[in-house]
Amino acid sequence: MRVFSTDHKVIGLQYAFTSLAFLLIGFVLILLLRWHLAWPMDGVPGLEALIGKSRAPRGLLQPEFYLQLGAMHGTIMVFLAVVPLAVGAFGNYLVPLMVGAPDMAFPRLNALSYWLYLLAGLVMLSGFFLPGGAAQSGWTSYPPLANLATGGQTLWLVGMFLLATSSLVGSLNIIVTIVQLRAPGMTLMRMPFFLWAQLVTSFLLLLAFPPLQAAAVLQFMDRVAGTSFFMPTGLIVSGQAVQASGGGSPILWQHLFWFLGHPEVYVLILPALGIVAEVLACTTRKPLWGYRAMVGSALFIGVMSFLVWAHHMFLTGMGPTMSTFFQVTTMIISVPSVIIVSALLLSLYGGSIRFTVPGLFALAFLPMFGLGGLTGLPLGLAATDIPLHDTYYVIGHFHYIVAPGTLFALFAGIYYWFPKVTGRMMNERLGRVHFWGSFIGMNGIFFPMFLQGLAGMNRRLFDGGRTYEIFEGFDGSFRGQAWSAVFLGVVQLFFIVNLFWSLRRGAPADRNPWRSTTLEWCTASPPPAHNFDTPPSVRRPPYEYTPADGDMHGVTQERE
Amino acid sequence: MIPYTIERRGDTQVTNVTLGVWLFLASEAMLFGALFSSYALLRVSAPDWPSGRDLLELPMGALNTVVLILLTSLVLRARRLAPAAAATRLWVASALGLIFLVVKAFEYSSEIGRGLFPSTNLFLALYFTLTGFHALHVIGGLAANIWAATGQRRVGDAMTAGRVQALGLYWVFVDVVWLAIFLLFYAS
Repeated sequence: MRVFSTDHKVIGLQYAFTSLAFLLIGFVLILLLRWHLAWPMDGVPGLEALIGKSRAPRGLLQPEFYLQLGAMHGTIMVFLAVVPLAVGAFGNYLVPLMVGAPDMAFPRLNALSYWLYLLAGLVMLSGFFLPGGAAQSGWTSYPPLANLATGGQTLWLVGMFLLATSSLVGSLNIIVTIVQLRAPGMTLMRMPFFLWAQLVTSFLLLLAFPPLQAAAVLQFMDRVAGTSFFMPTGLIVSGQAVQASGGGSPILWQHLFWFLGHPEVYVLILPALGIVAEVLACTTRKPLWGYRAMVGSALFIGVMSFLVWAHHMFLTGMGPTMSTFFQVTTMIISVPSVIIVSALLLSLYGGSIRFTVPGLFALAFLPMFGLGGLTGLPLGLAATDIPLHDTYYVIGHFHYIVAPGTLFALFAGIYYWFPKVTGRMMNERLGRVHFWGSFIGMNGIFFPMFLQGLAGMNRRLFDGGRTYEIFEGFDGSFRGQAWSAVFLGVVQLFFIVNLFWSLRRGAPADRNPWRSTTLEWCTASPPPAHNFDTPPSVRRPPYEYTPADGDMHGVTQERE
Repeated sequence: MIPYTIERRGDTQVTNVTLGVWLFLASEAMLFGALFSSYALLRVSAPDWPSGRDLLELPMGALNTVVLILLTSLVLRARRLAPAAAATRLWVASALGLIFLVVKAFEYSSEIGRGLFPSTNLFLALYFTLTGFHALHVIGGLAANIWAATGQRRVGDAMTAGRVQALGLYWVFVDVVWLAIFLLFYAS
């Protein structure tokens, strides 16, 4: 296997291992933070030895380092872990196989997209080695604070620029591959839902990332060339007037950021819905209920997600007309999401469910994503958002979407397609430990956040609000969260061991171990260099499962 | 070999390259759209706004407008020529692009010599950022021109014809952005 390969399968695996590594780094950062919040006065054991006395005397997190942990956790998880795993890894590996193509439409650009992504991640992370540390202005990098922050912020901006370029090249490739390289007979309505999800996601990345790229350039100019795009006139920091020509608008950054930021939410969730759809259809042995409605909803989400961004900005004083518009669009966009989840839920009815590990993850995705989605509704309405804004409630809401939501779907996908990639099954028993442990651990971390947030606890308090009388009763919940995080970390070891052990020792799998019906199962496991020995053709819709068959085989595309 | 790199697909009626370039330009439109939106938002909320005619070199800007349009028309006409002749046109077009960049560099040095920096005011901040970004696109286009011209012998005529088509679309986009910059900065 060459390192600078242009084979989509190699690039997909490079994306997978890199993004899983980033996922682990992002998790370790937040584990430190959670430990600190639980015992703010005691220090994190072993931290002083790890990062030095000046940064963590007696293991005590310094406020600047605490802010770096939070900002880099968010950045890494969203931009370097989950999206590259969902789109870079799953998209790259599976899209050509699912459409029946020999490779992506532009293999060299595909390799470029991976290497730019890796470079972007390394540039961002290298901030930790600067004297001032990594970016510390939150994953949203709001100016003017971000303009004035230490050098790590400049690296964050450079990284974001590279990442936007990488995502442009990658998403363009996925769109062209799906539109142009579909096998004969694969009409649009015979595409697996996974492909629809990847298609809409790629359009979101293609069109929503450039405004953030532009914003990153403007903030870079502010920091390096001394411009004032985001610097208001007469800004005073620590009693000193800031030297800048002024006239800029910090709100402009928020608009540009959230113009990406909200479609990004759907970038996080649509590929997950795509994976869950594939896994559930196979697990229940029946076609998806309401496939057409799901496709229509995904397309509608794609369009609407460009019209909701300012619901992140109700506190900027935008006025009732603007706020009404964004409240209405936000309520509208929740409808197609509910349609998709309801369709997946109804797909279970009458199915013959097999509780395999991917099936368990996909099934658990539904209530977890539901919880995350429903708790989002109060945040979409200004009247309830204003008291909840910037509290732990918001953190709880979007972590239910992304962690036991999207991550569960991604785990389902890994267990499900592992035999296709390697020709071996992952261990079922270790997988079950991983599933139940993650389920308990994640709920233990995120559920208390709703209660903390409803009590008004701000999400960025360095000491977890210990100085406020009203938060006195929350010590226990912080400790519960810290232990849940440790538990979650331990359980992930089962996954890591399983991944590497199964690579070599897993039970051999044939080309279609789950008896699934989509095109990627019609070639060898692992697929040969050009994917299909004979060019495939598609004869029927994607999910022709027939539980009536004695051996419960699905009708693959190969069968006449 | 990837299908539909050279020949069109029956149901979509495009090649991969054509579709890819349109998608790329859609993304670019969002990028410059965000920058021009920032211009609009900052300008409407500014108490006063300098006149570009007072600060910038209007004649040089006008010259560059002519150079860019000439360049683009050369690339567009190359699309109808045989690939070997088209490659020659691409070289000429690249020379024009180089002229554009030299003129731009003279402009920048003149402005900096007069004490006009990106940090002076928002107008100049936007001017330097947007023209700088545009100049990067000219450089990128030059590289692509040369890549297509030199690659002609290696990849063959059919592939080169597709690349020249794509380049034509790209340069039209670069022109449109430049015209917007010219109107919003030099002529304002």
